[in-house]
Amino acid sequence: MNRPSNARRALFSDAALVLALLILGIQVYLFETVLQAVLEGQRGLLPGAFIASLALTLVALAVAFKAPHLDDGPRH
Amino acid sequence: MAFWRRSFPVDLAEEGRFSRREFARFLALVSAGFTAGLGWLWWRKKPLDGPAPATGSGPVPLGLAADLKPGQSRLFTFRGPQDRCILLRTPLGELRAYRQACTHLGCAVRFRNDELVCPCHEGVFEIEHGFPIQGPPTRPLSRVALEVRADGTLWAVGDLPAPAGPSPRASLACPLQARREEVA
Repeated sequence: MNRPSNARRALFSDAALVLALLILGIQVYLFETVLQAVLEGQRGLLPGAFIASLALTLVALAVAFKAPHLDDGPRH
Repeated sequence: MAFWRRSFPVDLAEEGRFSRREFARFLALVSAGFTAGLGWLWWRKKPLDGPAPATGSGPVPLGLAADLKPGQSRLFTFRGPQDRCILLRTPLGELRAYRQACTHLGCAVRFRNDELVCPCHEGVFEIEHGFPIQGPPTRPLSRVALEVRADGTLWAVGDLPAPAGPSPRASLACPLQARREEVA
């Protein structure tokens, strides 16, 4: 049976986790930046920021629910 | 055995276990929260971007002009129940009317000590043209045109364009720059 090796599976799992963390970091930075701009009266960037944030959330959701081999621990 | 332990019989060895997928789902949930926050900001601010909906476009009576003494103010609604405005008489005796929505985040400004003050973030507007002079607002208040008719009644009749020229804050911060803008 052709199954991926443990090393390859662990590498992919780490990458998915790092991607989820990276997305959250981008979201925090985006929200803080946009909130600052809104407080200064620049509301024109809200639509673009919302769309970008929505895209990032969709990627995070896809990673969290669909990414294979994300679960650690032994397989039964 | 403690009551809560009997009610929630979770194995101690399993309590600390938190799989990567659960963690990733938690991260995605937090990410969705940020998106919802941005969406809420967008949705909440949208009505403030454009002009007020013209539900009632005709002139609005505001009573007798002489009833308002210098330094006094009165609230009224203009284009609709959500279009709240403030009418005031300056210490020099001139009548002014502005929309109450602060140009920063939309809080209602109040007339206090010959200034229009936003209580949310300490924004202050001068009353002659509605320019911001202190705090986070950067744009002047939206001004309402007034008309005193022959019988002495006061009417709100429309919207005035945004005032031109340097704001008092600019002239305070950099007098030279303000003078250049004035000459240009």
